[in-house]
Order: sequence, then C-alpha cells, then structure tokens
Amino acid sequence: MSALLTPIADLSDRSIIGDARLTRISRLAFVIAIVALFVACIAAWKQQDAHGFAMIWLQNSIFILTLALGAFFFTLVQHITAAGWAVALRRVAEAQAANLQWIGLLFLVPMFWLVATNREWDGYGHGLALVWPWADLAHLTAHAPAEGALVSAKSAFLNPVFFMIRACIYFAFWALASRWFLTTSRAQDQSGDPELSKRMRYAAAPALILFALTSTFAAFDWIMSLSPAWFSTMFGIYFFAGLCASGFSAIAIACLRLQSIGYLRGVITSEHYQDLGKMIWAFGIVFWAYIAFSQYMLIWYGNLPEETVWFIARQIGDWSVVSVALILGHFILPFLFFVSRWTKRWRTTLFLGALWMLAFAWIDIYWLVMPVVPHDIATFTTYDQLSLAYHSTATGLSNPVNYLVLAGFLALFIASTTARLSRGSVLCRRDPRLQESLGFENI
Amino acid sequence: MLTPQRTSGTYGLMAEFETPAEIMEAAKKVHAAGYRFWDCHTPFAVHGLDKAMGIKRTILPLLVFGAGATGAIIGFCLQAFTNAASFSVWALVWVTGYPFLISGKPLMSVPAWIPVMFELTILLSALSAAGLMLLLNGLPRLSHPLLSNNRFRRATDDRFFVVIEARDPRFLRSKTEAFLKTLGAKHIEVVEDR
Repeated sequence: MSALLTPIADLSDRSIIGDARLTRISRLAFVIAIVALFVACIAAWKQQDAHGFAMIWLQNSIFILTLALGAFFFTLVQHITAAGWAVALRRVAEAQAANLQWIGLLFLVPMFWLVATNREWDGYGHGLALVWPWADLAHLTAHAPAEGALVSAKSAFLNPVFFMIRACIYFAFWALASRWFLTTSRAQDQSGDPELSKRMRYAAAPALILFALTSTFAAFDWIMSLSPAWFSTMFGIYFFAGLCASGFSAIAIACLRLQSIGYLRGVITSEHYQDLGKMIWAFGIVFWAYIAFSQYMLIWYGNLPEETVWFIARQIGDWSVVSVALILGHFILPFLFFVSRWTKRWRTTLFLGALWMLAFAWIDIYWLVMPVVPHDIATFTTYDQLSLAYHSTATGLSNPVNYLVLAGFLALFIASTTARLSRGSVLCRRDPRLQESLGFENI
Repeated sequence: MLTPQRTSGTYGLMAEFETPAEIMEAAKKVHAAGYRFWDCHTPFAVHGLDKAMGIKRTILPLLVFGAGATGAIIGFCLQAFTNAASFSVWALVWVTGYPFLISGKPLMSVPAWIPVMFELTILLSALSAAGLMLLLNGLPRLSHPLLSNNRFRRATDDRFFVVIEARDPRFLRSKTEAFLKTLGAKHIEVVEDR
C-alpha cells in the first residue's frame, strides 16, 4: 500500500553495486589526504613544536576513531535489536566501521615510535611523556611533586608497557570485529542465507559488551590520562555520547552523498533519514548534554580541588568561549533544530545539521584533549586571581596545522570507505529484512 | 455521558471494504468529494492512509513542547523563589524564601537547580503528551454508536470501514449512499445513533 505513496526502490546494479564513481572519489580523496598531510608535516616542522604537533595528531586521530566507532556501534545496535528499518543503510555503516582496521596505525605507530626511541623531550620527559605526563614519573615528580605523588599511586595501571598492551587489545578487537561484521554481511549478499543474520545477532551481544569496555578504557587511556591526577568515572560514557554524535552524523552524510551520486535511489527514504536524525538527536545531542552536565554538576557540587582543576583549565582565557560554544553548539541549537520532524526528513536540513554536529564533535574532542591544567594552580587563593593571571590563555584553534591534519585524516577516511564500498554492494541486498526496510514508514 | 444524548437518529453511513488497497482508494475519493466528518476504521495500521484521507498533522508536538518549556520555567522559578527570593510586595510585605548557604555556593546556583528543572520538564511533557493525546482524540468517552453495530465488529478482524457522519454538511442519505456505492463498497448500511 505504501508503494502507492513512496518512491519505488531502484535495485538495479547501477543503484546498489559499487563502481567507478566511487573509485574516482576514493582516488581523489587519497591524493588530497597525501597532500594535506604532507603540507601539515612541513607546517609542523616550521613550527618546531613536537608536543603541539603530537597533540594535534592525537586529537584528530581520536576524532577519526569516533567516526568509525560510532558506525560500529550503530551496526551492533541494529543487529542486537534485529532492527528492520536500518537494513537499507547498514552497509554504509559497516563500511565506515571497517576503517577501524587501519585507524589503529594512526595511534600505534607514533606510540611505538615514542616508546622505542624513548627520546627526552624538552620540558615533557621521556618517550610517551611527550603527550601523556604519567609516562615519565621522575620528570613529573620533579616538576609537580604533588601531582607526581598522586600519579605514582596509579602507576600499576598507567605505565607505558601496560598502556601499549591495552591499546593493542582495543585495536585488535575493533579491527577484527568490524571486519567480521562486514565480511559476514557481504557473504549474505552472495548466499542470502538468513542464518547469517542470526549469527550476527548473536555475535552483537558480546561485541557490544566488549565495545563498551574498550571504548571506555580507550577514553580513560588516551584522553583522561592527559591530566593524570584527575579522574571522572563517567568519562567513558561521555566519550561514547560524543562518538554517537560524530559517528551517526557521518553515516547520515555518507548516505546523502551516496544518493546524490546516484546510489541507493529510492532505497533510503525520508523515513530512514528521520530515524537516523532521531538517533543523532537522542544519542549525540540530548544524551551527550545529559552526561556532560551530570559530570560537570557532580564535580562542581563536590568542589574538590583535584577534580575541579580539570574544569578550571577549560574556563580560563579563551577556553571559556569554547566551553560556552559547546553548550550552545553541541546541545541547545541542534536540540531546537533537530527537534522538528521536517528538519530530519528534508535532505538539505539533515545534511547541514549533520555537518554542524560533526564540526562540534570535533570541537568537543579538541576541548577534551588540548587544555592544560596550570602547574602553579595551587599557588592561587581565589578563582578570580587565577582567571586573571591566565586570562590570555590561547586555545590554539587558529593554528592551521589542526585543519591540515583534520583534512588529511578525513580524506583518508573517505578514500578508504569509498574504496571499500566500490568493491561490492552498497546495500545489504539479500538481507532477509530488506523488504521490510524498503517499505519502512514512521507511524 | 460526555456526548449529547439523542433518543434516536442517524449517526451516519458505513461502507465496508475487504482490502487495504480498496479503502486507500476510497479514502482518497471521499476526501476529494469534500466530506469533513468521516473516518476510516481498519484492523491494523494502514501506512499512508492518513495522507490519503488528507488528515493534517497533529498539533500535539507543539503543545508538548510548550508544556515541557513550562515545566522548565516552573522548576526554575520555584527554586529561585525558595532559595534566593527577597523582595517586597507594594512596600508592605517583605517576602523572603529560605536562603541556605551550601558549601559557599551562591544562592542563585543554577547548576544545582537543573535536575529539578529537568525532571519537571519531563514530567509535564510526558503527562501532557499522554493526556492531550487522549483529549485531542475525543477520549475518554463511554460509548460510540459504531460500537453497537454488529457488522462493525469485523473492524478488529478482517474488514475495512469508511464511515461518513450525518452531521457532515455534505451528507444527504441518498446521495452519500450512491456515492459510497461508486467506491466499490461491499456493503453499505445506516448506523443508528442510539
């Protein structure tokens, strides 16, 4: 019946099989990635700031990671709930998640290099301490004795060897799991075996548990331990809410772009986009704000110095602008924008909203990674003295290297995703629930 | 009784169809014919039927948004008044709330108030969503003329009905009956309003 009103899905090869259109984009994106990263390296070389470049590299790697992890989570959730509606766009999410196979290199190669060379970085200590202060306890204790004492109590967990082992475990799981879900789904393209859907559903349950653990500990390891004396037990879920914002937005953008070059015509409809928009709204906007505020309020209310320093570092100087911008741009404005039904259904508004969320997800991670807790913070008696002394703290957002590295990584991400899609079907075309998904309507 | 009671009369004309496709077509034509007081009854949700009937989107979301915003404002004012109010009414009565300093926080500590504002937002939007949905649907009501019609029982099983009410300005028993016949109804009958 609904076929009377909705466009009929085009299931011809040109609409659902990856071909030269995607290969072209992939090649172009790859060239852009190489150029952008090359220019970024030259610019960074000119700036002679190893620490700054390492932080930019880390921040953008985490951002790219969230795009893939968000898509990975999306895939798992559709499997475990046996969702029919998302079949039409699940392959896009799977292909995006499969980037987890190489994203680990962005982390592991520099990390191993830092550990292996164990070079002393001026003002930061040896090896990994270029980024993570806990990695050189002697240096940390010499420069900030109080912090050193707190952090040395955590050294059973925060030490370079265990840190590297954990990183390898996270990436091994993400790479293998995302690869398995993509290949199994592709095997179903050939065989149409409903048994495979069942197998993916069963596998999704343990995979979700492992996803929760790995993403939580990854957030602890790579972001929270940047301020090693500080801790927040809900940091992992904050990172999760953020990765939903960027991952789901990236799925929406990928689907919209695929349709605009002639794929999935009539397959993905306003109905699917509305649901995707709901997920961005619920997880990436409202849940993010809920968690962000819960974390803030507990620390603000408890008012313990070792906890509040983390937020003070994000309130001094120009960081206060970024903090307020996050409240507005990651919550209030997109909340009001995406609360309406039509903004999620109309492609132009969905595209703009998803781009906006992607930008603010990037700023969110920048806000997590970049601010530094002033080392002399204990010498101030009032907040006003501190904020006056640090009123000119810069955010570093004007540094073009940020955007060059971002462009490079994003282009790599696009190149890899499109190359993967070009090698097969862009639709789970023999999934037993495909018909249900094509006819899906919001009631 | 919530509905005005009439001793006798015609509620409307009921046309019976056998498939969703038939009622979809019928709904389009009834809508095109300009009837306003009519409805479709199906055993399950027929996607697209509301579009075919030309039903406008509900204003419920707007009302719920308003209720939610009201909840947030009430939550804010409640706490601002009890924690930090201090003003005089026409220079006669001095009104103060119950100011209580907690760990050196200012009296106007909005972060601490947000949980209450949030909960009141949720409470009022959830209650208004459920309550206004019932009201906008004309519920609760104790009886409906269609429910005493024996044939209509199949609306919960395997039949699809279009019912045009007698209060519709275009309703003329003979003409409407002829019109329903042209839609291909399997059976047409008058529903009495008892």
